[in-house]
Formats: sequence, structure tokens, C-alpha cells
Amino acid sequence: MDSRKSIPIITLIILIFFPLIQFFPSVFGDQNYVLHLMLYAFYYIVMTSSWNIIGGYGGFISVGHNAFLCIGAYIAGYYSIMWGVSPFYLILLAGIGAGIFGFFVGLITLRVKGPSFIISSIALIMILRIVFDRWELVGGASGITLPYNSLSVEFSKFPHYYGFLILAIITIYMNWYVRHSKFGLALRAISHDEIRSAVAGINVKYIKVTAFVLSTFFIGCAGAIWADYLTYVRPNIFLIILIAANVVLMVILGGMGTVAGPIVGTIIFIAFNELILSYLGATELNLLFTGLLLVVTLLYFPNGIVGTLRNKGKLPRFLDWG
Amino acid sequence: MITIKNVTKRFGGIIAVNDSSFKVEESSICSLIGPNGAGKSTLFNCISRVYPIDEGEIYLGDKRIDTMPAHKIATLGVGRSFQLTRVLDELSVTENLSLHTAAGFDFHLLRAGVTKSDKERAEQIMEFLNITHIRDLPMKELSYGQKKLLDLGSVLMSDPSVILLDEPAAGVNPRLLETILDRILVLKKQGKTILLVEHNMELVMGISDKVVVMAAGAVIASGPPKEVQNNKEVLEVYLTG
Repeated sequence: MDSRKSIPIITLIILIFFPLIQFFPSVFGDQNYVLHLMLYAFYYIVMTSSWNIIGGYGGFISVGHNAFLCIGAYIAGYYSIMWGVSPFYLILLAGIGAGIFGFFVGLITLRVKGPSFIISSIALIMILRIVFDRWELVGGASGITLPYNSLSVEFSKFPHYYGFLILAIITIYMNWYVRHSKFGLALRAISHDEIRSAVAGINVKYIKVTAFVLSTFFIGCAGAIWADYLTYVRPNIFLIILIAANVVLMVILGGMGTVAGPIVGTIIFIAFNELILSYLGATELNLLFTGLLLVVTLLYFPNGIVGTLRNKGKLPRFLDWG
Repeated sequence: MITIKNVTKRFGGIIAVNDSSFKVEESSICSLIGPNGAGKSTLFNCISRVYPIDEGEIYLGDKRIDTMPAHKIATLGVGRSFQLTRVLDELSVTENLSLHTAAGFDFHLLRAGVTKSDKERAEQIMEFLNITHIRDLPMKELSYGQKKLLDLGSVLMSDPSVILLDEPAAGVNPRLLETILDRILVLKKQGKTILLVEHNMELVMGISDKVVVMAAGAVIASGPPKEVQNNKEVLEVYLTG
């Protein structure tokens, strides 16, 4: 089989069966933390791949996409308490809610580009923070507390692991589909020249807003699973700029506007961060070293790792998805 | 085919196009000339709705188009090029050409970025413009003239009935100019309506059925090339700059 297909398929099979090692603690030991790291990576892959649709292809650098994560988490959290069901049953509702909210935000903010758009995305976080901190219906600053799942500790991460894995696969596929569709071609053209695109017959506003909604939908879905994983939803957990900054940096590291870039960037970013933490402890030195990693990487890979390797014709086939 | 009726476009206190009116007949070549700052490109931008107009009306056949968004006008069959080529360096040659087929709301947006029919159409266009050799070249390696032809090619991809060409001869070498000229005439024979803005008088007088002269935003003369050439007001404008 072609390595372009075989390596991702083998990787996927390993990822599907990996949690089963928890059934053999005497052989593999307790791998709960590894499971946490992996589902954490899937969670960020959902966000980076989603963000890449509007940021990478569309050229709209949003530093506020965690607003939609928050909306998804609150929708799932609130209704799970109201209706007494697990947030897992509300993933789609969370995604739709985030998408509808994204539609209105996109209609307003996508009129501007560049620094103005970036500032508008930061403003969105700040506005939502004020709203949720004072909104008593959803617990104000204390937020909503959700029940733990009834699984024993060693298996308690299974639903979130598989939930995020499935969501990550769907998001990556969507990212690939957008990249190779007429929609994606129009989006990439718009990112470089809106006037040229419009006179070519492309409905610029429609494409931009649709791309924005698409990217917010999946992040909203991720919010529902993340809320269940954390067992609480609070403004100060979801509405911090660090989450959005991480997403943007991961995509830049991997390669904006590429399908594999967000995945590669996320894995390297998280792995490097964990490595530094394990050697230096929780000293915040990891932030310094992560910054250094970015500087050094971008010095040698100005278009991100995947983007630069592709431009040089050195990208391994299994990562060459467009 | 295209009717410009009392069109005015202002930028703050500056009147770029002032109460201008003229008609472009079907399957003809009409050239818009005038000194720099006369309002030619602005009028082009008004027709393609890059700029909304302040007063007047613009019709394509009997359809009023000045109230429509730019993409809608393009899908009605109005294609345009730009004075400075606006081909996208980040896309491939075929993608640049296929861009014009990415238009519209419907589900064909879900199709592949460059379909088989896009490739076939792109190949036809490249053959028509004698640029098949640039097919696989990275955009950054194309010369200005090649980009100019590619720009024209991308306009032709959607088979428009009206073609607006903004200074197609600007900055191109004589050999390429000959190619462009020849292709414009072939397009006219195919029944296309062509409106062009051009400074090259030899080209304009050689191929136009009608010439419209603008100065300070207003139309000061229009008619067959010979008639316009002898118009006193036109001579005055050109002699005094």
C-alpha cells in the first residue's frame, strides 16, 4: 500500500487500540497520564484543524476562537444539568449553538481583516468573559459543576479519548475536504485578494462566513467533551487568551493552510511542552522554551514545518495531504 | 449590450466620474480613452461593482446591474481584467484559471477545487493564448507579460459575453502585444462584447468600433475612431495633457 495511506491507517489503528493497555496494568503499568496527554492532543487537533479553515485558508487570524469552545461547553453543561443527560449527548447541539453564534460574529467581524480582525477576536473574548462572569443563570464566575462519570479511574478517560479521537478524525477530514474543494479554492483566493475573487464571481461574504461557521462548529463540539472531561465549566477556564494563542502558535509551527500542519504543530508543541515540564518541573520555564522552539523552528521553517518541507519538495509522502 | 446612464462617482469632494453616459453595442469593441485621471478605470470599477456608484444607472442588456454585488455581475457574464495583473501567486496556474469556475452558492462548491472539466477548459484557454508552456510553472517564475495573458485567460474561463480589459497592452513587449491584439479580434469574431481602457492609440484606433473619450471624469466625445481623432475637444485635451 502507498505510504501516504498506509502510515495514517496504521497510526489510526494503534490509536484506536491504545487505551486497551489499561486492561493490562500488570504488563504496561497505569498509563492514565499518557491517555490524558493523547486526548489533550486530539482536543487541540480539533481546534487547530478547525481554526486552520478560517485562519490558514481564509487568512483571518482569530485569537478568540476559544469563545466558541466556551459557548459549546456552556450549552452542553447547562442542558446536561437541565435535562439530566451526559454532555456527550449534547455534542451536536453544542456545535450547532457555537456555529449559530459564529454566524453572527462572522457577519460582523469578517468585514475587516488584518490587525482589525485580530483585535475584534480578542474583544470577543473580553466581552464574553464579562457576560459569563455576571450571568447568574449559568453560575456567574463560579460556572457550572458537572457530575463525574461512573467509570472507575483507570477507564474514566475512555469516553473522552474516543470522543476527541472521532471528532479529530472528522475535523481533519473536513480540513482536507475544504483544502481540495472549490469552496477551499475560493477561500484561498479570498485570503489573498477579495476584489479579484469577487469579480471572478465568488460570493466573498458567503464563503467567508460559511468558513467561519464551519470552524466554530467543530470547536463548539470539542467544548462539550472538554466540559465533561473537566466536570466544570467556568469563564476563567475557557475564556483566556492562552488557549487561542496556543492554537494559533501550533498552526504556525506546523504550517498554516496545510492539512497536516495543524496536526504536526499540535503534536510537537504538546510533546515539547511536556518534555520541558518533566525535566524542569512546573516552573513556567516551559513557556520560555516553547517560545524558543517557535523562534528556532520559524527561522529554519518560515512557512511552518509542513509548509516549508512541501515548498522544498522534501515533505514525506505520508504528510502530503495538500 | 452595456448602457452607462448618467453615472457619477465621487470620492469625498472629488468627482471621479461625472454624469457620464454611453453605450457599448453587442459584439463590438469599444475603447475608453483619456488622459491619466480621466476616470476610465474608476468607471470600469463601477461597471464591475468594485465601487458602488453615487448616481446614474448601468445596464447589461435590459438588466440593471449597478445595484447588484460584484459576484452577481460576474455570473451574469461580465468578466474583467485589471490594469496591474491580479493573478494570485499563491495558487498554481491551473488554480488561477479555475478560480472563475468556483463561483456561486450551489453545491458545485463542494466539488474538487480543479475538476476534470476545469482542466480541459484551462487547456483550451492556454492553447488559445499560446501559453501552454507555463502550465506547470510556479507563479513566481512567470514574467509580467505571461501573467497578463494568464489574467486574460482567467477572464475567459467562464466564457463571459462581455469582457472588460483594463490596459491590456500596458507594460508588454511588442510581440506579446501582437498576440493580445490578435486574440482580442478573435474574441470579437466569436461574438464577445469588449470594452477596453487603453493608452496605446495605435491599438485603440486599429481595433475599435467605437471610441469613448473621457476627461476630468466626463465623457467629452464618442463615436467611430476616425471621427473621434478629428474632434477638436479631444485634440485639445490630448495636446494640453
